[in-house]
Amino acid sequence: MKTLFQTSLKFAAVMLLLIGGAAITTHAQGARLQIDQLDSLANKASETVDVKLDERLMQTTAKFFSGKDPDDAEIREVLKGVKGIYVKRFEFEREGEYSQADLESIRSQFRNPGWNRIVSVGSKKEISIEVYLMQNGDQIEGMAVLATGAKELTVVNIIGPVDLNKLSKLEGNFGVPPVGDAIREREKKK
Amino acid sequence: MKRKQVMRMVLAVTLLTALVSPATAKGDDFDAVVKAIEQFYHVKHQSLPLLARAGMKGARTVARVRGGDYKRIADAGSVRLVFFEDQEFNSQGRIAGFKASIQNALNEAWSPLIATLSAKDEEQTYIYIRDAGAKFHVLVVTIERREATVVEATLAPAVLATLMKDPGEMGKTLTDEAAMNDPK
Repeated sequence: MKTLFQTSLKFAAVMLLLIGGAAITTHAQGARLQIDQLDSLANKASETVDVKLDERLMQTTAKFFSGKDPDDAEIREVLKGVKGIYVKRFEFEREGEYSQADLESIRSQFRNPGWNRIVSVGSKKEISIEVYLMQNGDQIEGMAVLATGAKELTVVNIIGPVDLNKLSKLEGNFGVPPVGDAIREREKKK
Repeated sequence: MKRKQVMRMVLAVTLLTALVSPATAKGDDFDAVVKAIEQFYHVKHQSLPLLARAGMKGARTVARVRGGDYKRIADAGSVRLVFFEDQEFNSQGRIAGFKASIQNALNEAWSPLIATLSAKDEEQTYIYIRDAGAKFHVLVVTIERREATVVEATLAPAVLATLMKDPGEMGKTLTDEAAMNDPK
């Protein structure tokens, strides 16, 4: 009887752990966008870049950014807590190579709870940049940048807490394009 | 007698499994990727000894690991390398299909790190990473209009971190360091 009770307790503990783990995973993956549906655009694009850095790879490599080099130290600081960086960038020779449906497949995900658009700059003639944050209370759980132009489309998805003030340190590293330049230029014009 | 036969059969199956499993697990995703390239582009890889015998001066032939410029890979351990030279690589507007076929050739242990594609020039670089305990296995596929390279190397995390600062250049750096001109 005692053995049965102990076994039941162990089973319950394992189940609780499994359920808890699943809940945490679901929550953490909330900021992860589905972007692989854009892959077929590579057939029409003149240049395609597709970067996938998952949590383990991020944390393993982050440790090796030397504290001696100021740039490396800043990158390491930004990467603290980041669980993944995913980038898809397409450049086209002609206009109109991607469709509104392609954009909608991304934008529709921002209508899910937790996502808020914090920046929207640009016009039809220029590159438009939209920055979205996923928040859970005060906690930032991820961010996304959607940059669209007549001949280009870029999606950046960063999972985990991101310090927006230090985000520029990631530009040009890990495949993250310098999308912040456009925002800063736009702010200067204002 | 019947029991003996059963035991023999079990032993034979166990031996076969033991022999086949490591080859399949280790083996061979590298070979599977080479085959995927051959099937998609209708090309054939060239064996390195054949290239060397042909005395193709200037051809990137073999991963002869030595010090100096090539120390980073040498520290990392083993390197596997296959070349496709002087053959037509034309995806006929289906470059995304090739990306998918490479992905399908690899088992789930490999994580795609970066893919850069230029449909117009047929230039493509794919980098996949697989956990190898304290180190990482890195698989790099480079395709150009007339040639292609497949490199598999084992890298220490510190080396990987250095290369990852610029993922776009990572494939080129790895391939260049794995492949070197035959000095003879």
